[in-house]
Amino acid sequence: MKAKNLLALLFAVPLSGAPRFAPVGAPEPKYSVATIPAALREGAHAVLRADDEVVTVKSAGRLVHTVHKVITVLDAGGDAFGRTTVGYDALNAIGYLRGAVYDADGRLLHQLRASEIRDQGVGDAGGSLMTDVRVRYADLRQPQVPYTVEFDYEVVSDNTLFYPTWQPQDEEGLAVQSATLRVSTPAALPLRYQERQWPAGAPLQHTRAGSQEQYAWALADRPALDEEDNAPPLADTTPGVALAPGAFEVQGHAGSASTWQSFGQWNYELNAGRAVLPPATIAKVAELIKDAPDPRTRVARLYNLLQGSTRYISVQLGLGGWQTFPASAVATSGYGDCKALSNYTMALLATAGVPAYVALIGAGSDHADLRPDFPSNQFNHAIVCVPLASAGRPDTLWLECTSQTTALGYMGSFTGNRHALLLTPKGGQVVATPRYRCADNRRERRIDLYLDAAGAATATARTLRTGQEQDTYAQLLHELGPTEQKQYVAEHLRLSTFTISRFGLAAAPGAGTPGVVETLGLALPGYAPPSGKRVFVSPNLLSRLPALPAQVGTRQTALWVPRASLQADTVQLHFPAGFQPETLPAPVQMATAYGNYSAQYQALPDGTVRYVRRLEMPRLHLPAASYAGYVDFRRKISAADRAQVVLLKTDV
Amino acid sequence: MIASLLSSRRWALLPALLATTGALAQAPVDPIKLGKPDPLDFKAESFKGDSAAAAVVLCDYGVTRFRLNGTSFQFETDRVTRVKILKKAGYDAATVLVPLYHRNNSEERLSGLRGTTYNMVAGQLQKTKLDISKTFVEDRTANLRVRKFTLPDVREGAVIEYAYTVTSDFLVNLQDWTFQGPYPVRWSEYRAAIPEYFDYKMLMQGYVPLAVSTREEGGGQYTVHTAGGFAEGGGSFRGGSGREAASNDVLTGRVTNYRWAMKDVPVMRDEPYMTTTDDYVARIDFELAGTHMPGQAYQAVLDTWEKINTDLLDDNDFGQQFGRGGFLKEQVQGLAAKYPDPTQRAAAVRQIILAAVRYNGTNRYATDGNLRKAYDAHSGSSADVNLLLIAALRQAGLTAHPVLLSTRAHGRVNQSFPLLTKFNYVVALVPLADGKDLLVDATDPDLPCGTLPERCLSQTGRLIMPQASASRWVDLSPSQRHVHFQQVQLALDAQGGLAGKVHEEYAGYAGANARGELAKLGEKKYLAEIGRQHTAWAVPQAAVAKHETTEAPFALDYSFTQPADDNATAGTLYLSPLREFGSSQNPFRHEDRQYPVDFGAPQEEMLLVALTLPDGYELAETPKNAIIDLPDGGGRYLFNVATIGSTVNFTSRLALRKPVYSAAEYTHLREFYRLMLEKQAEKLVIKKKA
Repeated sequence: MKAKNLLALLFAVPLSGAPRFAPVGAPEPKYSVATIPAALREGAHAVLRADDEVVTVKSAGRLVHTVHKVITVLDAGGDAFGRTTVGYDALNAIGYLRGAVYDADGRLLHQLRASEIRDQGVGDAGGSLMTDVRVRYADLRQPQVPYTVEFDYEVVSDNTLFYPTWQPQDEEGLAVQSATLRVSTPAALPLRYQERQWPAGAPLQHTRAGSQEQYAWALADRPALDEEDNAPPLADTTPGVALAPGAFEVQGHAGSASTWQSFGQWNYELNAGRAVLPPATIAKVAELIKDAPDPRTRVARLYNLLQGSTRYISVQLGLGGWQTFPASAVATSGYGDCKALSNYTMALLATAGVPAYVALIGAGSDHADLRPDFPSNQFNHAIVCVPLASAGRPDTLWLECTSQTTALGYMGSFTGNRHALLLTPKGGQVVATPRYRCADNRRERRIDLYLDAAGAATATARTLRTGQEQDTYAQLLHELGPTEQKQYVAEHLRLSTFTISRFGLAAAPGAGTPGVVETLGLALPGYAPPSGKRVFVSPNLLSRLPALPAQVGTRQTALWVPRASLQADTVQLHFPAGFQPETLPAPVQMATAYGNYSAQYQALPDGTVRYVRRLEMPRLHLPAASYAGYVDFRRKISAADRAQVVLLKTDV
Repeated sequence: MIASLLSSRRWALLPALLATTGALAQAPVDPIKLGKPDPLDFKAESFKGDSAAAAVVLCDYGVTRFRLNGTSFQFETDRVTRVKILKKAGYDAATVLVPLYHRNNSEERLSGLRGTTYNMVAGQLQKTKLDISKTFVEDRTANLRVRKFTLPDVREGAVIEYAYTVTSDFLVNLQDWTFQGPYPVRWSEYRAAIPEYFDYKMLMQGYVPLAVSTREEGGGQYTVHTAGGFAEGGGSFRGGSGREAASNDVLTGRVTNYRWAMKDVPVMRDEPYMTTTDDYVARIDFELAGTHMPGQAYQAVLDTWEKINTDLLDDNDFGQQFGRGGFLKEQVQGLAAKYPDPTQRAAAVRQIILAAVRYNGTNRYATDGNLRKAYDAHSGSSADVNLLLIAALRQAGLTAHPVLLSTRAHGRVNQSFPLLTKFNYVVALVPLADGKDLLVDATDPDLPCGTLPERCLSQTGRLIMPQASASRWVDLSPSQRHVHFQQVQLALDAQGGLAGKVHEEYAGYAGANARGELAKLGEKKYLAEIGRQHTAWAVPQAAVAKHETTEAPFALDYSFTQPADDNATAGTLYLSPLREFGSSQNPFRHEDRQYPVDFGAPQEEMLLVALTLPDGYELAETPKNAIIDLPDGGGRYLFNVATIGSTVNFTSRLALRKPVYSAAEYTHLREFYRLMLEKQAEKLVIKKKA
């Protein structure tokens, strides 16, 4: 959706390089495929033969990252490794980019020429109006596999806020034969690092030569991995080393990332003095709050002002990835990026006497939570935190300032359930954003299903979604017109053939966790055609949860279900005269570590059948051994969801 | 047959549409005055009918005129656009990206940019001007710059307007005018004042009628400015040599004033099974056919198809490359003796090219370097790959000619516009003894020789021949279909459990897709996908039987078991034996359709199921046989049941014979699928024999 990049993300991925061997037209074969151990070919689309990266800290303000990467592409599934992309911008320059490709026997096939390297702007990717980020890319994919590509590049960075993170096995189907990281830094600028999922028996080599500190890590012979369903991201399962500066300096702004306090301090000071509003805006604020002494009401009114008069437009040039536009610029243009809009909101609130702070956060539904034990730049977004209290207890409000439609205080899948760094005059402080539980993330559905004697059906459905369950629908509601909303819903209904006779989306009334109500009228020709004198009807029209595929081999990774949810369905089945229920499915009740499920059927005195279903699933982080139980739970749910009511024709 | 689908509604050469009016008349009033929004544009009732829109383009107005820059003509297009922002979802309309091309010394330049946002605040109209210092230029690629700006102070209810002028040296490409876009348009008008020196062909396309279409003859003056300096030899305008003073001359000539407008243009909607929206959007295209400069004879610029043929053969990036294919001789040596049959020999040559050069995904009809370079880099565009193929076919003693085409995503070629730019791809044609043509492409190793990739199925291509007069259109109708064949043996036990053995084949385009999928996923993951599609099954055994050769279908065998349903009733069993093997959803999810359904190729799905009932059981009732036909022989679905002893044999066969169905056929197609899915989902009642 809205990619409010702080430039950061693009460089969170290591993108620099190291030339150990410049690829020259060496006559002797290199990297013959025959020398890859069989164990590394197993399940692999490609093998990382060598990844030798060198990070050289030149000064507090400059870092050089060189990469030498050799990858053998074994089959078409590994084809993407035959290309490489190196990004750069105003603060990161590419020193060189070279490449060569070898056949299966290791004979040089082709050496990359400068004219074959493409260079282009990333355009409006990620919703930015303007950015100085550009990419160079090279394509050495070959007509016949296996083949081996070799890339060498160097990135000289004047943005030492970012140190590279090294994680050689960053894709499924990629085995690692050998990978090394070496860091050289002046003793006066001690390296900060964090080993992640680091295997035993491969300790860091740390040496000191004169005034230089040297660090070296090495990995070898890591077989390829599969990305499994309902699993944590690969970044959380394969070994890597994250690097971060202590002292750093970006365009004359010096700081320290050694603690969250100091990292936050640098950010705070970089943006200090930019929250000054023009008199007209101050007057507008005064007018809005004059009859509202309560801080919460003031926040609500000012958030409303923000949402009605600004929008998200991102311009990221140079240090602009970190330094906000002044609040006065937002006041005149009515737009800004996440930093500018957050800073502007903070200024509005300050004018109204409500203290608030900008907070940095890693946004995105699949963004990893902050690692609080490793102060470093782990952010791509900014929001606002308003520390309020009600009845003597903290009742903090969080504001997403880049959305014109998000409900007051709502974070959702984008920024909820995680940690953020508050930027205060005293420095940074790690705090938690709201956590959304089953009771917040609800989907409540009521359906009336009318069957006719020929087997056609019509249905009316009203669905209330709240919390994270409504995130997609809130986006539909606010960002698309009714025609596109209906088109989206039509494309996502899992029904054989249907016509939507009525459709509407509306915001659910009431404060608290936001909700969206969907009303749907459906015509379902041939939904339950009679088989002889019987009719089979699935009352669970819209809420069938598919089962998971059977596990092939042993489950390797933990079970992750990142979102808690609660589904409640009631379906009233109406059928014509001359039919009566012959068989109602048996009730199902399950209470497990993975969640609770129940389904009940009841023939009502008015001749209808009522089906009631409830599924409650908590957020799950369980060991791999639990996966089989989860598959079984899902299989049983799927079977119960497909159960059919059998109606018997009585008038024949 | 296919041609009839391109109804005259879609294409129309403009002269037929134009009402020629008298040579006088006042220029019509501009439909929009910058800086003067209509007060009605701030009243809610003006937008009652636009509840489905996030923004409405109130007016989009362009005017093109020609001018002389020194002694070279340029054209200038002024554009004024006014948009009403109705909802926050329409804010994107306030951000404008203008692509500007440049090549060598020619360029498109943007000037005179200005913009204003109007908000009605408490009855007062507030104006906020666009700050030019907050506009940007991005060098997207070597030949493309993008000028970017966004209007300030945009809120719900705002009216924004902006204006700019683009000056262009690219006379050959007088820019298209597109009337239709992502927002509904109240009024879109384009005017062009074209001097007699330029002869443009004009082509209208789309499904929206013109509200205005006029031409008026008038006059115009153009000032020729000749810079002073030393003229060199005979190249000078005036001849002679020596020092010359700067001078100005005035050309007076006839000018034709064209005017086209559309009213209430609906939004362009993307639909499944389309080539590209570019093929359907309401738009007018211009191509320079020729120039007629004062004192000079008419010079054709837009060629005839024959001239294009001749030029291409002379082109260093095209025809001239074939003569330099000597380096391929060694590669194809011996093939002529080994494969006397041209079809087999062509296939062998194609294999050599497939193994030597990798298609890099870029589509071109001509090489941008030389073939040797691409051959050495083992990588190239569609032109590099297939021009190499043609050169190699010739080295192998075969006759082979290039066929130009436009891929489906690039849009269809109009045969009345002899324009090279409308093409982006080239394949080889090998004439066979029986008068048939073999079309060969070497970009996709998953397809057999003689089958074009699906991206090429855009109806017609242009054959380039050594004698221009022999060049002609070539039918690109697919030689292959999508074919999916399944043969299933099912055994039902008395508890309702199922055991099955499946033999599955994919042929034609479906075979290529399956091979591509297998290559991408690897066999383990590919087979695991079966379990993903049928979560109720356990699949103890699965194997890909055949996939190496593209000449034979891709074949797959597996077995599965499915435990009895929890709510099976004793004595009576219920089963939908076909449902797991057909599709569960109608692919046509919307009630109506604006554009043709373009599948690219015909389709066939065959499903044979032999169901063995448990001992002592029988069908309570045998399902009815059925044949469902599409009108005009467009397709058929056949469902047949035959019982032999305790085995019930089902035949389910879908044939869609046409690659393209018109929008008018959509309802039939949707109903056809519905009836088929209903038949495939039919439930059997299996009871104990009395």
